[in-house]
Amino acid sequence: MGDGVAMTASETSPIPDDKEIGELHVHKTPFFELLDEPSARRTTVLGIIGAIAFFVVWETAHYLTPEQGQRFLPGVEQVLGKLIYLYTEKGFLSDVLISCMRIFGSFLMASAIAVPLGIAMGCFANLRALINPTVSGWRYLPAASFIPLLLVWFGPSEGAKMGLLFLGVIFFLVAMILDNTLAVQRELVEAALTMGASRKRIVLEVVVPAVAPSVVDSMRTMIAVGWTYLVIAEIVGAQDGIGAVMMRAGRFLHVDIIMAGILMIGILGVLTDLMFRYLQHVVFPWTRPRKG
Amino acid sequence: MSDQSTGNSAAVRADLITKQYLGGKFTALENVSLTLNENEIVAFVGPSGCGKTTMLRVISGLEPPTRGRITTFGDRITGPGPDRGMIFQAYTSFPWLTARKNIEYGMKIVGVSKEERRKKAEEMLGLVHLEDFADHYPASLSGGMKQRVAIARTLAQNPRILLMDEPFGALDAQVRWEMQEMMVDVIEREKKTVILVTHDIEEAIYLADRIIFFTRNPGRVKEDIPLEFKQGKRFAIKEELFDQPGYTDMERKLFAMMREEITGKAA
Repeated sequence: MGDGVAMTASETSPIPDDKEIGELHVHKTPFFELLDEPSARRTTVLGIIGAIAFFVVWETAHYLTPEQGQRFLPGVEQVLGKLIYLYTEKGFLSDVLISCMRIFGSFLMASAIAVPLGIAMGCFANLRALINPTVSGWRYLPAASFIPLLLVWFGPSEGAKMGLLFLGVIFFLVAMILDNTLAVQRELVEAALTMGASRKRIVLEVVVPAVAPSVVDSMRTMIAVGWTYLVIAEIVGAQDGIGAVMMRAGRFLHVDIIMAGILMIGILGVLTDLMFRYLQHVVFPWTRPRKG
Repeated sequence: MSDQSTGNSAAVRADLITKQYLGGKFTALENVSLTLNENEIVAFVGPSGCGKTTMLRVISGLEPPTRGRITTFGDRITGPGPDRGMIFQAYTSFPWLTARKNIEYGMKIVGVSKEERRKKAEEMLGLVHLEDFADHYPASLSGGMKQRVAIARTLAQNPRILLMDEPFGALDAQVRWEMQEMMVDVIEREKKTVILVTHDIEEAIYLADRIIFFTRNPGRVKEDIPLEFKQGKRFAIKEELFDQPGYTDMERKLFAMMREEITGKAA
């Protein structure tokens, strides 16, 4: 390209070519950018960096602790080692399974009542007026305060533990599913009415599918709360389960075992969350991002 | 079906309809009387809060009137029914059903057989130009397409009257006129009585045979305006309307009425 030719072109043509513009400006997004949605890859990378940072802080704290105190703040590798030891030597798997059974069993029972009840309350204002004040009140009662009552009724049995988990979850679940149902677009129901659909049809074929994805979301949130009550329930009166193992370890100041238990609950929590997300993806294909 | 003895087979006949809310504190409609004929396209026009949508909802049966008598083809309206199909401004195609299944769903409610549903859905998809999107969920359709799904679903039920509440209000300008032209074609083919609520004056003149202008506080009929300049014609293309002598006068008249309503004084 002769320079002279390019110069004249730039004077006549309204669209300059790359050469004349030179370096293009590269817009850099600041880290704390509002309304910015990082790419999937960046999100993953940031997530991994965050997790590594956590373990680095933990490990550093462990090494900074004076020698005689280190058993109260074991390092990452010690806790992981202890977790493997628990599985291989102490039959930890059966404790994990029994804890899962308690969680899922009681959560299923709570959901079996809360989901239909919440949806029905969302659909019918009279039912809502009848039940909602009472259910709302229950939410303010700490589930843990029912422990003595549950122990008197059921003794240190599965009933007491499952009862606590059930009580800890159900009232919140009802309230959340009621809200989910009330958020169903009114026009969907009106459209079905003008199509001549019966009330039964509207509840089962319009409201239920409309609310289902957000119900699964609410369940995902509430099962996390379930894990909180699990440990309380198992600390109070259990011979087995993750909470019981941690409680026993506490008596002997085995901090590494306690922390292994906490770590295990964290892992199970993340797995439960992933399971719910996967369920949502498979069961509600219409909520997936647009396909094309 | 129709009330033969009085010769009253109007598509809709309303006598002294009053609709109040909040136990009578707010009057949305006051003594509205109107008669809509079969196969007529009527637009309800007026400023916001004039009761045009309330009147449509009374006709649909979604809102019972506080007082007054309302019939469709001689039968008292006591609630919603598939004889009066309704299109809403909000998108009401069901997100969990594909376009095709949405259309079939309306027919399922009124007890159409499975084979018949499949056949009719195919026909309706063609009518609203959605053949290529039959198996898409609404989430992957544009606003105009979602609205076409709702229109097809309603028409597939073969209602006698089509009620449209600001059906294109949420669409951008280009999609809106495409939809308006499509509606002219659809109404011509399906031979429906149509009631259209709109605040878009041009849309009202283009689609309707007759405009009923509502006034507010309280909602009443201000004027019943037959669009005589159209000479009973419906135009496939919007420009054809603009070429009609009398179009500009009509548009000006309606704008002036609207301005008078809003500012409270004649221009």
